[in-house]
Amino acid sequence: MRADPISLGGGWQRRERTLSILVVGIFALVLLRLFTLQVLQGSKYRELSEENRIRVEVLTAPRGEIRDRKGRLLADCVPSFTVTLDPFDKVYTRDPARLDSTLQALAPILGVDAASLRDKIRKERKVSFLPIRLRRNVEKRSVAFVSEHLDRLPGVQVESEPLRRYPLGLMASHLLGYVGEISDKELLDPVYSNYLSGDLIGRMGIERGYEKLLRGVDGKRFVEVNALGRKGEFLGEKHPILPTRGTDLTLTIDLDVQRAAEEAFEPGARGAVVALDPRNGDVLALASKPNYDPNEFSMGITQERWSELSSGGNYPLFNRAIQAAYPPGSTIKPFTALAGLENGVMTPGTFFAQSCTGEFRFGTRLFGCWKHEGHGSLSMHNAIVRSCDVYFYQLGIRIGLERLSAFMSKLTLSDKTGIDLPQERRGLYPDPAWYDKRFGAGRWSRGIILNLAIGQGEVILTPVKLAQIAAFIANGGTLWKPHLIRSVGSTAAAASGDSIGQYVALDARSLAAVRSAMASVVSDPQGTGGQARLDSISVAGKTGTAQNPHGKDHALFICFAPVDAPRIAVAVLVENAGHGSTAAAPIARKVLQSFFHPAPPESAAVLAKR
Amino acid sequence: MISPRFSPDIDRPLLISTLLLTLIGIAFVFSATSMPSSVTEHGLYLKQVIYLVLAILAGALIAAVPYRVYEGKTSYLLYAIGLGLLVLTLFIGHVGLGAQRWLGWGPIKIQPSELAKVATVILLASLLADRKKDWTQIRNLVWPVLIAMIPFLLVLKQPDLGTSIAFVAILFTMLYWAGLPILYLFFMITPIANVALSFFTPGWLVFLGLLAVILYRSRIRLLPLLLVVGINLFVGIATPQIWNHLQPYQKQRITTFLDPGADAYGAGYQIIQSKIAIGSGQFFGKGFLHGSQKALAFLPEQHTDFIYSVVGEETGFVGAGIVAALYLLLILRGIRVANRARNKFGGLLAIGMTSIFLYHVLVNIWMTVGLAPVTGLPLPLLSYGGSSLVASFLQVGLIQNVAMRWREY
Repeated sequence: MRADPISLGGGWQRRERTLSILVVGIFALVLLRLFTLQVLQGSKYRELSEENRIRVEVLTAPRGEIRDRKGRLLADCVPSFTVTLDPFDKVYTRDPARLDSTLQALAPILGVDAASLRDKIRKERKVSFLPIRLRRNVEKRSVAFVSEHLDRLPGVQVESEPLRRYPLGLMASHLLGYVGEISDKELLDPVYSNYLSGDLIGRMGIERGYEKLLRGVDGKRFVEVNALGRKGEFLGEKHPILPTRGTDLTLTIDLDVQRAAEEAFEPGARGAVVALDPRNGDVLALASKPNYDPNEFSMGITQERWSELSSGGNYPLFNRAIQAAYPPGSTIKPFTALAGLENGVMTPGTFFAQSCTGEFRFGTRLFGCWKHEGHGSLSMHNAIVRSCDVYFYQLGIRIGLERLSAFMSKLTLSDKTGIDLPQERRGLYPDPAWYDKRFGAGRWSRGIILNLAIGQGEVILTPVKLAQIAAFIANGGTLWKPHLIRSVGSTAAAASGDSIGQYVALDARSLAAVRSAMASVVSDPQGTGGQARLDSISVAGKTGTAQNPHGKDHALFICFAPVDAPRIAVAVLVENAGHGSTAAAPIARKVLQSFFHPAPPESAAVLAKR
Repeated sequence: MISPRFSPDIDRPLLISTLLLTLIGIAFVFSATSMPSSVTEHGLYLKQVIYLVLAILAGALIAAVPYRVYEGKTSYLLYAIGLGLLVLTLFIGHVGLGAQRWLGWGPIKIQPSELAKVATVILLASLLADRKKDWTQIRNLVWPVLIAMIPFLLVLKQPDLGTSIAFVAILFTMLYWAGLPILYLFFMITPIANVALSFFTPGWLVFLGLLAVILYRSRIRLLPLLLVVGINLFVGIATPQIWNHLQPYQKQRITTFLDPGADAYGAGYQIIQSKIAIGSGQFFGKGFLHGSQKALAFLPEQHTDFIYSVVGEETGFVGAGIVAALYLLLILRGIRVANRARNKFGGLLAIGMTSIFLYHVLVNIWMTVGLAPVTGLPLPLLSYGGSSLVASFLQVGLIQNVAMRWREY
């Protein structure tokens, strides 16, 4: 070897020494570690590798609790048992046929057929370190049986897991949603990269919309298992990672109002109620009928039952409050009137040329008023009070489709309300461009304006949108984004802090005129909304009866109260129930009653216990 | 590689350790994929042999061309190609294990980050070889830092935290070799240490005090002093503030990023299984092909990232020790070659290539024995994978290139 020449880098010699010492140090550490693992602790690891198996036990985080605005429990978690199987147990890696016999033995105990268990294992066995959940919420008797026979069921474990519980059953099911196992399709989506096959995920409602907060973070612990079952915790250098509970949510919902809304429907009726606080957009109640019991899903629902719920007759899973849009019928009239006032085509005192004779001729077509004997000559005020169609036909013609649809678009009628629930659909208030696209430019009748002015024809709105615009009249011009969260966790975020509203500047006199007419709808003996009247509180409202080509008319009612300083705005829809005045207004009355005169606390306590 | 007979200055220990490690690698790729449960992987060792032929050709080629050719303009060109491939990967790359790391034409798939590392070293060496610049001047450091930061960020975006940090390791090693006082390197790391400590106020205060003492003792100039103090104070105070203002989902994103999230349940488990595999090998191992832990397929990456645990299980302390010693030899020879080179570019080139080996071997082996977190870096020369093997031979080829021509200025 020739001698190294003097280096030119300036001090490279010293640098070589320093760096070499560092490198030798790094490798010395490796050797030391290898010595510890292989020589000092080698026999322990050899035993582990031959006899036992280290497995991950997931410590499922309980989901956050959901409560109403007064702290009453709507959803929590209770302990339950899950039976799991580790398909990588040494018994099975040596003799795969054993797996079948284990499943055959387990299937009848768990009440599931062996073929579906086999499918599940084939699908989920990719991740070798996690046992597969065979069945959640296993009955105590079966748990006892399985526990006694663990020695003959290799790889099988009984684990404790939190079970989602909805103590009030059917109550508020649509707004709460439910939980179910994550689907294969979702698992492929990077959004759900921190989920594993078999994990629960929120479906619909708050459970879905606030999944990230509610879910919490699962913990894990390593356990050592041998042929006889669990041997104990594996003491690695890391302690078990404890699960972090999901975040609790307090909703803006008032359980009293929610209950009144749900109980106000006849058994078997279909419809929806949305109640908002017009001062900030808090959702006080959001009900859809018929409802379902979300507990069924937590307990592990069968495929047949699921199809029954999702498609059977009345579509109970369908949230009519936000997913269904209906023609608003006459509940649109206060807004048509506002459009007229704002566009200056009339004043609150304006009488139109033609008095109501029960029908109205437009071109060659005859348009009827719902009251066949006619209303006679009416001012705007009385036209709203008595819901005269002929008056609004004439008003619609005067405003014209262009201006009317422009006004409605200012009130965001064709947009979603933006409520913090998934799957809200949008309504529609068509404009000329829409008709051009639908029927071809100019190939549609000018008569459509008559229908739109009274809320028939192509206009459709969701109940939550109706509640939002009822609140808009109540508060004098603010379209609140309805929201369901009052506070997250222990941070008592002020309800108003989360309120997002859009102010639409209207002439205060126009609003006052419409408000006063709506008050008379309920208070005036000739008004159509008398059935929503309360003894102590003044109520303003508007009835609606929407023609329905598929059956009996839908009944609608929007209202707010007290008239002078509104604290609640309500929209009621009952499918195929006939008149709004007789089928929807009484429901609104019960809702208002529950809000202003809540049930005494004793009964509330009883309910919370149930 | 050029035959030793014709090039007496070729570094033989380096050559022998490289070839031995590669052969051991093929043997253990064969072993790790030989179980009945991994039918689809049975032919992988043959593919590795083909990669080896390619790698030897590439290494010999890059060693044959006098290394001075790579200096200057060529280095910029190589760097630009490396960056271009990285950018392309972000747009049209193949997704594997939740990250976009691969670039492919038909059946050929390459991992551009492996080549980008080599290209970055060449450019840094070319730049730092400039004798006219005083590398203790802060303003002179802007370019080298930038050159390392661009690929760092591009790889980080994939996301591949482990590989991206390699660029930082390369930069620091080369700056040190170029003459930057170790104290400066320490100051460059302080803001990162600061971020980590800023949530623990007593620790943070102790750290600041320590920093103040070192700064005072070091008697550095006023401007850099103010810069270090300013950045550290800012980072330390701002980090918790920013953190507290993040939405929960943003925080979650950051924590899952720092702690490889896709494998939230698996990461700790893999380390335990790797330790059981290595530990159960005891002194002499269970014998080649006789590992029992690997048979259970606990470690999905046992022929790539966790190959060292198969070595440990089947050949015990003796085999794992020999492999570690071969790496030690390879790296020490690399440093020796860098030291002996008369040309500054050559020395920097050799040390840079060596630093890539050092970083990868360190992170990978420390991971398999449970001294470092799971990062998903391959073990150079041993792990299955064409890109990594070719890149390793390019690195060795360049080191040999410098070794053969150490006399040249």
